[in-house]
Amino acid sequence: MVELILLFRDALYGSLVIAVTCGLLGVWVVLRRIVFVGAALAQLSSAGIALALLLAGAGLGLGLATEPLTLALALTLLGAVFFGVGSQRQLVPPDATIGVTYAVAGAVGVLLIAKAAAGEAHDLYLHGNILGLTRQDTWLEVVVAVPVLLAHAVFYKEFLFVSFDPETARTQGFRVLRWNLFLYFTIGLVIAFAIQSAGVLVVFNFLVLPAVTGLLVARGMAGTFLVAGVAAAIAVVGGFIMSVPFDLPTGSAIIAVSGLLVMLAWVIRRVRGD
Amino acid sequence: MTDLVRFEQVSLGYARRPLLRDLTFRLAAGDFLGLVGPNGSGKTTVLRGLLGTLAPLDGTIEIASGVSFGYVPQREQIDSRYPLQVLDVVLMGRYHRIGLGRRPSASDRAAAMDALGRVGMAEVAGRHIGGLSGGQKQRALIARALVGDPTVLVLDEPTNGLDLVATTQILGLIRELHEQDRLTVLMVSHALNEVANYVDQIGLLVDGQLRLGPIDEVLTERSLSDLYGIPVEVASFSGHRIVLARGHLRNGADHG
Repeated sequence: MVELILLFRDALYGSLVIAVTCGLLGVWVVLRRIVFVGAALAQLSSAGIALALLLAGAGLGLGLATEPLTLALALTLLGAVFFGVGSQRQLVPPDATIGVTYAVAGAVGVLLIAKAAAGEAHDLYLHGNILGLTRQDTWLEVVVAVPVLLAHAVFYKEFLFVSFDPETARTQGFRVLRWNLFLYFTIGLVIAFAIQSAGVLVVFNFLVLPAVTGLLVARGMAGTFLVAGVAAAIAVVGGFIMSVPFDLPTGSAIIAVSGLLVMLAWVIRRVRGD
Repeated sequence: MTDLVRFEQVSLGYARRPLLRDLTFRLAAGDFLGLVGPNGSGKTTVLRGLLGTLAPLDGTIEIASGVSFGYVPQREQIDSRYPLQVLDVVLMGRYHRIGLGRRPSASDRAAAMDALGRVGMAEVAGRHIGGLSGGQKQRALIARALVGDPTVLVLDEPTNGLDLVATTQILGLIRELHEQDRLTVLMVSHALNEVANYVDQIGLLVDGQLRLGPIDEVLTERSLSDLYGIPVEVASFSGHRIVLARGHLRNGADHG
């Protein structure tokens, strides 16, 4: 079984990078109650991929503009700015804005891909093909993940303050809007790169479930980040073990393992009684 | 006394619409001022203007050089699900001094422990913030404001949602900080009876304007009846000032 899984070692390594990065950033996503911002950004990213495929299929060779990654990145980062600024103004309930973006971006992605040349073949782009991750993809993920995680390590204090108590942070001179934008930007960046191989649902899973596991089990912020990262990695390894030898969909298997870890964490919390 | 803060004909509001007009008042070193008004009267807006998070639409707000504020937000603003210890939360009061991207030092931790000691909370420094009672949480937030060595302590509805004992303890603590440490205090509350017995000066926010002065001058039946739009009595019991709204009482309630 190990040899069979190791046949997909590049996909495994790439998935681990995506999982751990999303798992760590997911702690902020869950704590700030912006879980569906992650989902909406993922849908925007997939709509960007669909738009690129449509343009390319129509023979509109616009260089980088028709690269799936470029458009996915552009739409995701625009979304990150939109949600980052929107969370300050709140002209309509923030969850409603997120819901509108999620639904419209999801539908537009499907419509665009339906009209793209060989659209069905590209369907994998929207749903992800985690076993298709190559060594090159993995290195690309590493190039994105390392600076993002470094920035989060360095500016942990700032992210914590503007997330936990923005009003007081503002009175101390912290530029809350700028820090929010920076946080959303890093989340959007990671999602845009991850979405092409992992797909919307798996990326959403990595952003939410490992963080929930961490928050249920750990007693401090450092412990929460640690457990979230480890839970994300276990979900990937467990998902590969569950799926590859038995010819099951790997993304769904990873999500199933993530769900089991959440349940296990919930039981631990109940037994511990705190 | 030295003026620390000066509001001169200040208008404050949102989306260019003034909510409060022509606010003129001074906060001098050693003052203990309570701002009172019904819900929605703009009390928190005044605090935002003072703290510099809301620019005035008109007029000027002058803050004397070297003045720093220790802000205690409404307790409900704090999300207790964050896995933070009490000490972590108090340390946030030092963040602006620590510098971008740097971590709190041993001396920051010592200062945070000292601030917790001042509010009688040193023994719960390691507890999860979500596991504290309302009164303890309020003390932790006061400690966070104190750890930055502020010139002025600014509190927004510090007794909101607290029971009688916790309310008395928190107001007693604030009074103690004012008297013993000579801390200038500005406290905002809708709870008139609580504020009236602890502050030296009171400001009533009425129809977007401020009536400010010593308690005896401002807390009259006439001004309070105007403010709340119902008949109000001001009585005294064992040295405590009690504000009563005349209403339709249950049978026998007035025969006690």
